Amino acid sequence: MSATATKAQVLPRSRREPRAKKKWTPGEIVVMVVLSVLVLIVASPVIYALLNSFRSYAEITVDPMGLPTSFTFDNYIALFQQTDYLQAVLNTLIITVSTVVLLVAIVPMAAYGIERIGGRTSNIIYILFIAGLMIPFQVRMIPLVKAFNQVGLYSTLTSVILVHLGGAASFGVLLYCSFLKGIPIDVEEAAHVDGAGRLRTFWAIVFPMLLPVTSAFVIIQALGLWNDFFVPLVFLDSTSAGTINVAINRMVGLLTSQWQLIYTGAILAIIPSIAIFAGFQRYFIKGMSVGAVKG
Amino acid sequence: MDGSTTTAPRVPTGAPPALQPGTALRRRHRFPRARWAMLAFIAPALVIYLLMVILPSLQTVQLSFTNWDGISPSYDEVGVANYTDILTSGRFWNAVKNTLILGLGSAVIVNLISLVVALMLDKLNHAMGFFRTVVYLPALVSAFIMATIWKYLLNYNFGIVNSALRHLGLPQWARDWLGDSGIVVWVLLFIICFTLGGNTTLIYLANLQSVPQELLEAARIDGAGSVKVFWNVTWPMIAGAVTVNMTLAMIAGWVLFDQVLVLTTGGPGFVSETMAFFIYKVGFGEYRAGLGSAAAVVLFLVVIVSTVASNAYMRKREIQA
Repeated sequence: MSATATKAQVLPRSRREPRAKKKWTPGEIVVMVVLSVLVLIVASPVIYALLNSFRSYAEITVDPMGLPTSFTFDNYIALFQQTDYLQAVLNTLIITVSTVVLLVAIVPMAAYGIERIGGRTSNIIYILFIAGLMIPFQVRMIPLVKAFNQVGLYSTLTSVILVHLGGAASFGVLLYCSFLKGIPIDVEEAAHVDGAGRLRTFWAIVFPMLLPVTSAFVIIQALGLWNDFFVPLVFLDSTSAGTINVAINRMVGLLTSQWQLIYTGAILAIIPSIAIFAGFQRYFIKGMSVGAVKG
Repeated sequence: MDGSTTTAPRVPTGAPPALQPGTALRRRHRFPRARWAMLAFIAPALVIYLLMVILPSLQTVQLSFTNWDGISPSYDEVGVANYTDILTSGRFWNAVKNTLILGLGSAVIVNLISLVVALMLDKLNHAMGFFRTVVYLPALVSAFIMATIWKYLLNYNFGIVNSALRHLGLPQWARDWLGDSGIVVWVLLFIICFTLGGNTTLIYLANLQSVPQELLEAARIDGAGSVKVFWNVTWPMIAGAVTVNMTLAMIAGWVLFDQVLVLTTGGPGFVSETMAFFIYKVGFGEYRAGLGSAAAVVLFLVVIVSTVASNAYMRKREIQA
């Protein structure tokens, strides 16, 4: 208890002196070396896969520890020619983009509604949404497959998108509601008096203020959707080319003698994740930090 | 034209007088319409959420009392038969045990790794942003892709792990890592924990950086060593982050699936099944959707109870600190 009291007293002061003034210490250099080594170790399977994506199956199996002799893109070309990988990439892209766009269209609005409706209704709907955080996908998947079969949507991208929308709604409501609590109602009321409709007030006044949360939400969801395996595995059968991960999983079963193509597919699957991260990492780390310190 | 300009100001001037004598009266008049508008805002997300999450979850409870096979249009009520089947089946309890080892084990280990990495990052006064990014990079590779690569690294004949062991003159150490029922669960645990934490590390780091430097310095001046400073100052200050991270890791741990499907498909036999994999396999692979539903209900109860209990325990610890 005393610790928190002290924290409150000292918080206004800046925590660290400007970085430039700090001297390099030996300990710091040791830490940097250790961290670099750790990253190399943890990334080693991926690096190995990258190297082997430039080798042939014969080379890989005869000498598993060998290095590529030439950097040709034969495997990358073969992957697109021999398998449905391109369609799988497109499917993954469609699922990721449409789910993220739809989430941003409906979740912030819902969170705003929950925060502003007030009273008991507000609490009930909020708790209803938050309960979803504790409902694993496995708990709802069997009836969902049944239902999508009945309405003829099974093995369509629509079914995967809908399942993801439901699954991400809880986390989105949690994130947006906690942020909306800090936004004063005065600005909206001013806009409202000026004659703006509620929908316009929301999109023109409130939504721009939510940008920090939106960027964090979009990145977290985009990465999660791109990397997801279980949902498309359950909802896309062999009539669909599947998503990247589902396609790779099928290759593992079918192309048992084509390791080089699987390594290649794995490397290609990682590149967009890195691109998403590289493009938005400033917002991402800020978003994670904001959520974390609050939590 | 004149008429419209004179009536326009009259609307706002008509409203303010009501503000003084009876604000409540005006509110009551406007409130219902505002509420309907807000409900309309909530509706799209709520409808999808109810249809995709709440309704199917309730249907799972209903299906868990039937012998539905997952395909045929009809099924019979069988009471609690599925539950007694599950709770008396060694296969299910093995899956529970594996979920505990892999889910809880990895939650603890990954949190430890993340905390150590975050403490190291927090020590840096230079290039911290760069190292934070680099440390995060491995986390961008999905569990599925990582597991797929590992599956080939651990191949008995041509995998690099066994071939490296043979080259190092340790051929007796080479083994069928994913086919040996004695070690397969531990191999899975190793692969799941082969990480630098990603989000978990970022959350710890953000919390470490919000620990006031003055507190740490005061403790040091009082003669506390760095271990003592950590346990008495830093650790209590990041208790909230520990709660958040452990809760998130446990929720993810209870539903471990990707690694099991890719690396072992539950095998050899049923040795390495987790609860999530059991539900998938029984429900879709063995045409026992009723039984799978019952297992899903059990999983749901476990998640709820463990999340609420662990949160209550850790929150209590936070207040004491």
